[in-house]
Amino acid sequence: MTSPTLEVTALCKSFGSVRANHDVTFSVDAGELLCLFGENGAGKSTLSACLTGLYRPDSGEIALEGTPLRLSSAADAIRHGIGLVHQHFVLVPDFTVLENIVVGSETGLFVDFASAEARLRQICESYGIDIDPNARVEDLSVGEQQWAELLKALYFDAKLLILDEPTATLDVEGSKKLFRIIDKLKADGVAIILITHFLEEVMQADRVAVLRQGAVVGIKKTAETSPEELTRMMVGRDLKRQTRQSTPMGTARLALESVTVEGLGERPDLDDISFCVHEGEIFGIAGVAGNGQRPLMEVIAGVRKPKSGIISLDDTVISSKGVHAIKSMGLGHIPEDRFAEGLVRDFSIEENLILGEHRGTFAKGGLLDFRKMAQNAKRLIAEFSIAAPSGETLVGNLSGGNAQRVILAREMQLASKVLLANQPTRGLDVGVIDYIHQCLFNKKAEGVAVVIASSELEDLIALCDRIGVLFQGRLMGIVDARKTNLEEIGLLMAGHALETAV
Amino acid sequence: MIEITRRQTVGYRARIVAYLLALVMGFACTSLLIWLSGASVMEGFSALFEGAFGSEEAMLQSLVAATPLIFTGLATVIAYRAEIWSIGQEGQMFAGAMSGYFASLYLGGAPMVVAVPVIILAAMIGGALLGMLCGWLKSRFAVNEIISTVMLNYVIVYFLSYLLAGGPWTAEGSTSYHQTALLADNFRLPLIVSDVKLHIGFLLAILATVLCWGILKFTPFGFEIRALGANPTALRFKGVNVARTILIVMAVSGALSALAGVSEIFGVNYRLKGDVLTGLGFTGIIVGMIGGLNPFGALIAALLFGALENGSLYMSVLSDIPPALVPAMQGILLLFFLSASVIVRYRVRIRRASYV
Amino acid sequence: MSELLSPEILMSIMVAAMGGATVILFAALGELVTERAGIWNMGVEGTMLVGCLVAYLVMAGTGSPILASIAAIGAGMVAGLIIGFMTVTLRVDHFVTGLGFNLLASGLTLFWFRSYVGGGKPPSYSTIDTVPIPGLADIPILGQILFNQHLLTYIALLSVPVIAVFLRRTTFGLETRAAGENPQFLEAKGLSVATRQYAALLFGSALTGLGGAFLMLAFADQFRPDISGGRGWLAIVAVIAGNWKPLRTMAAVLIFAILDSLAVHAQGVGVDVPYQFFLMLPYVASIGLLILIRSRSGQPAKLGVPYLRH
Repeated sequence: MTSPTLEVTALCKSFGSVRANHDVTFSVDAGELLCLFGENGAGKSTLSACLTGLYRPDSGEIALEGTPLRLSSAADAIRHGIGLVHQHFVLVPDFTVLENIVVGSETGLFVDFASAEARLRQICESYGIDIDPNARVEDLSVGEQQWAELLKALYFDAKLLILDEPTATLDVEGSKKLFRIIDKLKADGVAIILITHFLEEVMQADRVAVLRQGAVVGIKKTAETSPEELTRMMVGRDLKRQTRQSTPMGTARLALESVTVEGLGERPDLDDISFCVHEGEIFGIAGVAGNGQRPLMEVIAGVRKPKSGIISLDDTVISSKGVHAIKSMGLGHIPEDRFAEGLVRDFSIEENLILGEHRGTFAKGGLLDFRKMAQNAKRLIAEFSIAAPSGETLVGNLSGGNAQRVILAREMQLASKVLLANQPTRGLDVGVIDYIHQCLFNKKAEGVAVVIASSELEDLIALCDRIGVLFQGRLMGIVDARKTNLEEIGLLMAGHALETAV
Repeated sequence: MIEITRRQTVGYRARIVAYLLALVMGFACTSLLIWLSGASVMEGFSALFEGAFGSEEAMLQSLVAATPLIFTGLATVIAYRAEIWSIGQEGQMFAGAMSGYFASLYLGGAPMVVAVPVIILAAMIGGALLGMLCGWLKSRFAVNEIISTVMLNYVIVYFLSYLLAGGPWTAEGSTSYHQTALLADNFRLPLIVSDVKLHIGFLLAILATVLCWGILKFTPFGFEIRALGANPTALRFKGVNVARTILIVMAVSGALSALAGVSEIFGVNYRLKGDVLTGLGFTGIIVGMIGGLNPFGALIAALLFGALENGSLYMSVLSDIPPALVPAMQGILLLFFLSASVIVRYRVRIRRASYV
Repeated sequence: MSELLSPEILMSIMVAAMGGATVILFAALGELVTERAGIWNMGVEGTMLVGCLVAYLVMAGTGSPILASIAAIGAGMVAGLIIGFMTVTLRVDHFVTGLGFNLLASGLTLFWFRSYVGGGKPPSYSTIDTVPIPGLADIPILGQILFNQHLLTYIALLSVPVIAVFLRRTTFGLETRAAGENPQFLEAKGLSVATRQYAALLFGSALTGLGGAFLMLAFADQFRPDISGGRGWLAIVAVIAGNWKPLRTMAAVLIFAILDSLAVHAQGVGVDVPYQFFLMLPYVASIGLLILIRSRSGQPAKLGVPYLRH
């Protein structure tokens, strides 16, 4: 019997006191698709980093086709034919597709663009990928960039291909195409590891290894298991999903009328957007990343100004007001990138909690009111269960979940009328996600109009009353979350118009 | 291959050790310089310290030399805490001295209690305006502040050169000296210790240090300065007008630099000329950075550098070492301090390289 | 003013401008490559100053312009190594490093020069001659401006297309640009970011040192403090105004050089506007250029961002 393409035995990796991977053992055969399934923080990314030479395991063995490997850099992994397709593309936007691909595989003084292009075109043809090798990556759509990322790995004849959440940026059509490519790769004898947390993708694999808290809790053949069983294994208990309470909706609270926001290029970032959100309504924004979610949140919050159109809050026009004035009317904003936009890393929790209010509530006689700051922090740390030794702890030292709780604590107080949340649960583990959803429901119960953008469609369907779908800055349609399904939203996300509007 | 990872927190002890090490390394390298130039290291240093601290008069003289450095050092602290990398302290100091002199031309026989405050105020306005110009170029046109301040430094120096070499401010019969006529008594800063020209500018500098410290630590404006330096985007998302904050920071920094010009021209030299100011702004950058961008740190660094500056003249008389040793030494110390401040934040490990 | 517009003076201004441009062009091309690798090197002025002093000392000692140039290149590389250690290895802020290095260079060169001279008069030498290109130098007007220049001027001008091709077509050029656009990309490909950044800094600083040597050999017969006079800073502005592209950077350099040359001629001709105002021109123009040319589309995405590996 031949050795499996990859065999991982008792692999352990810790960061300080955190055990990211513990005693991980599994194998993948040539021509097999193995799925690594687990929550955020279960150790999937650490494992893929160990397999591609970015991290070195503390102990354990990695064997490729029966030969033990010691990978100490990405170069080692590439040399041994291990390819990684990153979740967040690692591409040079300023380069052409071809330039992105040839870096690292050329050895001469000059790059032989002609033969590299011929080879790339041949690969594209054999896998049915339609992409212009000489197009600049920044001019490509997000979906096309995913193909460029995949081509980087296909270009050097990988024996083992690791795909890290590849469908997060693809629409329904794109995902289907990806699985056709995977089938072709399997036929060519490539071993594939697919990292995902989407159950329907998991079920397309040959086998699935479930990770929980850094350890493999079970390996199953997909033919012999069910989505329910896998979910139980992943979470360690039966999943109790929170769903919307049916509170009656009030009057319109936040209204957008023909809002257009200019973009850097020809295409506007937001194109003629109109919708309204009612008192006590949770309004979801769905869409493939980069289709206008961020400009939408920013224009409502006043961070950006619309080129045309009117935004109003309780019949007061806010589109001409500044961030501060809008915020004072009762709007809270949880920005997409918590460390880049929401927090100051080098500031303490106390200081971050008063950001924006430092001239108002927390100033006394021209000086900062330290006592009030401390009391405020103490109260909010307890109320929002922020795990930190004290209010003086620097926010940069907090975990993603606790950092998000700091933003939540600050913005929930402001949000007496409108709460904007852009990807509030990204990269967080289930406990925090549940907590954030609970917070949104509380706001709904208080009669606040909540707008949430998320890439987790299932979450949106469970949370929201209505969902608007963005595609290239346009609102493709608004669907009733009670009556819709993933297929319908998927089509809208791909730019197909809705036949019957709600 | 040196591998570096970030530490979570830095202990006080590690910091002190690192800075002491930087100081020792700085002095070691300076010794090497002296030795390379062929002079005696021991003689050089002992003359330097004799000149700086050897007598009561020497020490007071060191305070006089430190005064403008405190101002330009504080100007650096305020701007750099906001991560505005202005190196316009030099030009703003010139602008301050020139505005002060300009005001004095209209003050005629005004009594000192009126003339001196007006001169100081005029100087601060001049420095602040030049600083704000760079702030405006930065926020309105995205012109990098390092570049605009460097260029304006040159422009201001040439402008003063025009005024003093044949221009309207040239003292009669002394074109070749490039200086104005002697200032009248009522324009001169009152002295605290008259033998060594220790003037009220020194007290003003101490006051400014305490004020800067208080502003940074206790006021909402200081909060904004620090937040601007750490994450301007978060500040913008919370509704703070970042462009306006940059303008105010540059105005404050410029006004502080201007005070350095006033204290040198109206407190020590009693006539406006370029070469007595040259370099005080740049040394202020070193002072601010070695002081860890902390007002009191800058004060200590300024006192040390003032002493070195003062001692260097004595040293050059007693030994063959040129006074230029001091700027060289300051540059060396700066690089070691910068390295030290970063090294304490990292854990350094040596590991096998396997990268191409 | 009209004196400056006579054909002979204009010709003379242009001929001198090509020489002056050489100094800034070497530094600007070096800085361009360095910045494309992601290092925002603000130490150009200091590096040039060190190059000037070393070239002067070697020239005064040996009388050989070739040795002086080589020594200045070496001195530039040492400067690049120090800046590289601070920015790439220690990851000190790039701006802070540059500012610190300039102050160090200005202090060190001053001290070195003063102790070298001692109490005496600084030695001087005669500046190097131009090398006319036979045939081409006789073309009217253009021949004088372009083909009756110093050897290093030809080299500087030829470097523009060479560097453009290097960045676009060569393996190492592509990798250097990748380091400035997305260092994580290089690392994922198994290539070292630090190696490329150090290489770019060494190359860039060597060119800057050479620019300093040319300033000493062609224009000055002896060193004086701060002789570089902001040319290193003008080089940085030229790169920004040139949108990080070699040919446009050269155009910006030419503007500064012509203004500089104009100021020198204005002094000589005796124009009624005070000469100090002419001397301000290149510096004022540099700010003006940055206001006028607002496009930063060519700026490397990760320029000046210290890269911390996993």
